[in-house]
Amino acid sequence: MDALLTASRLILDPYVLWVITASAAFGMFVGAMPGLTATMATALLVPVTFFMDPVPALGAIVTATAMAIFAGDIPAALLRIPGTPASAAYTDESYAMSKKGQLDLNLGVNLVFSVLGGFVGVAILIVCAPALAEVAINFSSFEYFWLALLGLTCAVFMTSDVPLKGITSLLFGLAINCIGIDPAAGYPRFTFGSVELLQGISFIPAMIGMFALSELLRGMVHADAQGAVIAQKIGNIFSGVFGVFKRYWFNFLRGSAIGVLIGALPGAGADIAAWISFAVSKRFSKEPEKFGTGHIEGIVDATSANNSALGGAWIPALVFGIPGDSITAIVIGVLYMKGMNPGPTVFLQNPQFIYAVFIIFILANILMLPLGWIAIKGGKQLLRVPRNVLLPVILMFCLVGSYAMTNSIYGVIMMVVMGLIGWLMEEHGFPIAPAILGLVLGEMLEQNFMTSMIKADGAFIMFFERPIAATLGVMTLLIWGTMLWRGIRGRPATLGEAAPAP
Amino acid sequence: MRANDAIAGLVLVILSIVMIALTASFPDFPGQKYGPSLFPRILGAGLIVCGGILMWNGLAARRGGAPWIEIAPWAKEPRRLATFVLVLVLLLLYIFAAETVGFIPLALLFLVTLFVWLGVRPWIAAATAIAGTFTIYWFFATLLRVPLPRGWLNSIL
Amino acid sequence: MSKISRRTFAASTAAVAASAAFGFKPAFADEAYPTRPIQLICPWGAGGGTDATARIVGVLLEKEFGQPVNVVNRTGGSGVVGHSAIATAAADGYTLGIITVEIAMMHWAGLTQLTPKDFTPLALMNEDPPGIQVKADSAYKTVKDLADAIKGSAPGKFKASGTGQGGIWHLALVGWLKAMGLPPNQVAWVPSNGAAPAMQDLAAGGIDFTTCSIPEARAMIDAGKARSLAVMAPKRAATFPDVPTLKEAMGVDYTTGAWRGFAGPKGLPQPIAAKLTASLKKIFDSKEYNDFMSSRGFGVLWNDASGYAAFMDKADAQMGEAMKAAGIAKT
Repeated sequence: MDALLTASRLILDPYVLWVITASAAFGMFVGAMPGLTATMATALLVPVTFFMDPVPALGAIVTATAMAIFAGDIPAALLRIPGTPASAAYTDESYAMSKKGQLDLNLGVNLVFSVLGGFVGVAILIVCAPALAEVAINFSSFEYFWLALLGLTCAVFMTSDVPLKGITSLLFGLAINCIGIDPAAGYPRFTFGSVELLQGISFIPAMIGMFALSELLRGMVHADAQGAVIAQKIGNIFSGVFGVFKRYWFNFLRGSAIGVLIGALPGAGADIAAWISFAVSKRFSKEPEKFGTGHIEGIVDATSANNSALGGAWIPALVFGIPGDSITAIVIGVLYMKGMNPGPTVFLQNPQFIYAVFIIFILANILMLPLGWIAIKGGKQLLRVPRNVLLPVILMFCLVGSYAMTNSIYGVIMMVVMGLIGWLMEEHGFPIAPAILGLVLGEMLEQNFMTSMIKADGAFIMFFERPIAATLGVMTLLIWGTMLWRGIRGRPATLGEAAPAP
Repeated sequence: MRANDAIAGLVLVILSIVMIALTASFPDFPGQKYGPSLFPRILGAGLIVCGGILMWNGLAARRGGAPWIEIAPWAKEPRRLATFVLVLVLLLLYIFAAETVGFIPLALLFLVTLFVWLGVRPWIAAATAIAGTFTIYWFFATLLRVPLPRGWLNSIL
Repeated sequence: MSKISRRTFAASTAAVAASAAFGFKPAFADEAYPTRPIQLICPWGAGGGTDATARIVGVLLEKEFGQPVNVVNRTGGSGVVGHSAIATAAADGYTLGIITVEIAMMHWAGLTQLTPKDFTPLALMNEDPPGIQVKADSAYKTVKDLADAIKGSAPGKFKASGTGQGGIWHLALVGWLKAMGLPPNQVAWVPSNGAAPAMQDLAAGGIDFTTCSIPEARAMIDAGKARSLAVMAPKRAATFPDVPTLKEAMGVDYTTGAWRGFAGPKGLPQPIAAKLTASLKKIFDSKEYNDFMSSRGFGVLWNDASGYAAFMDKADAQMGEAMKAAGIAKT
């Protein structure tokens, strides 16, 4: 209890509260700007937090990331560009809703369920941090291999109308991910002697290119057609949200739970949590045919999941010093710099810092409601700016953002090349999302596949010998089996797809 | 521009064959029968299957009367096509000139050109470009310490 | 269009003139160095040990010089990208970098042409030896138990991890096996994406032991999930005084380690290099630096410019030998 009091005193310092508010605004801005991600917000905050005490430093990171993950939903709804990768899973759905005229409800649901999902994340972090991490800690490469494959399977789920093009896009993403140093043997693949290509396809610039540049190219070409932007008025975003909650409370709980679990698993963060929970939502929905037409159900799951994943990711990070996602990977570095070596000893030696993290999390989620409301209203202002002024400025931001990810022009080159590829893919009806997921999970998949093969001396049965691995494996295979079966039955329809409409 | 699926499929198949051919020189893990070449080969095989089905579908569509290449309506309007080309040219210019010229002059050029081309009034264009460039520079280079190229302004910044 | 390009042209001419006017400054500014912000390139990602070391030194250098010192992460390609960026930067003292043991390894692996000779060494500031870690409930109580079990097993039955194929901890394992008179493939190396996943795989029972450094293993050891049996160092680590050295535990005198030092591109002007080395020495002796390093469990080791150059040459030869033995070297 003493520690709790100390923690509260540490946080109720005016300077700390100022840092938290400032980083909340920073997080909102970074998250809402396409091309800037929550991970990037954290990475860019590190040099600033270096000059602070542990509590404001942690406060800045926790608050900024929580805000950024929510704020990523705003441009998704208004521009069909996800503000952060964590919103990518339901960007199309969200934009479809806006186009249908349900912009208010969409943004209100995004905000309220982000806050609620965040609370579930913190609650679970506080209540059963050690117990949950205990499960994830027992995962070896076999479990991770299946988990990655399961994540990729979801990517194909997303593109229900033309599975063939979804799978092609996924394989393409995985294939370009092979560029660079291979994760198992350290052998340079497809680099053609270039030093820059050794670092492979940088994920963030690639995502900025495929999601943002291709969209900007389309937008500039039609810059005179202001109608292409959602130009509805934002009214009372909270009306109707309670109705959604009453109808989909189970989706909210399920999404939040999946979010915490995925977040707690090392290597997978808010973005993968959103993909998986969205796919789960669609799979178990009573009205799966409504998905893709601007249906709120999947958004409830996914927007809760990506915010709850943030709390989840801190569980293994605090308890074992093992990051749950790329944000906490940076956080662990900051903790070390502050002399708080993450691990069970922190709970014994510096419990006030652990409590401080909990309190900041709660505070950040409370702050999110008013600040998110302002951001939504302000996001609208952003779009009131004429397109011919807005689009070049966003393009400039994407240029600088990609540059900042690699600290070299290589990031910009990557962004432009991937942007053109993404634009071509969309022109030809190939969905972009599976390719992006292939890029995110490719290394995890290959690394764990190769590691497992070496451990098993090539005996594939070893992939099913551990109980959790077996469960995950059977699940994945069942899903693929079902899909193939459906694919064969649905074949005539697929064949006729390419024919032009009469 | 939209090419027939058969063309997309053909491109995929050719690229996959090239990719698999390139893996021939990859070494195996010491003492194992596989190595860094295994994963790209599996993916290449998958892409060839997908490309093959795409070609099949595309040819079926072609028999049904679909053209080999469809030009999107916007690309037939010279001004829109020019916008598309202009954006690409500016991006390429940025890539090749950023290190020598530096961020600030290039960003100003980039923004003013695009603004004016897209029909923003010149004085608004100039003012927004200056404000935008310096805000971005202040935010990234000064506040967040991203090493944006200094170029010509190296000694004054 | 033409109006705009003329306007920008005028602006750019002014900029050129300005830079020409100021451009003579560095020629007489050696003692005034530094007069503008310094970039400190780190070849590894934000949050890692190298990044942390670069940042603490960056902060202290900034205090020392009164000019901003920006740590810039240039990651990827197993360190090749960042090391190349340091080596190919302008040798004016405004781009420096932290270089790591990988510089003595990656040219042997055929990843790059760069060697330690492509840099102006300034100072070596840290070295961490590898430990030998097993799962907490492992049957092996001492490193001798483990070594005997390895000797009596079929080649490849034991699996170890800690980093990628041909990485520093893989070479530590190969060196240890060689020192015991065993072939390099007596223990199969399971490549991992760094030490943290390897330690987790150890705790999850996926592998038999790891040979990563003590600071990397620390979180898992403190969590009671793993035990360290020995360190491959000349003396015990300050953070784990109960863990014996290999020589104490089994009479095998084999030591190695991962190190980090500061360097600039080749051809750095002598006065600037001397000034930097002197400042780094001051930092190395400072309380802040030592407190920070010990809080993370990092070892500290000092070598000045010429000592560091000799140190790197020795490391380069040692690594080349181990990599040839492991069959990883290409050149």
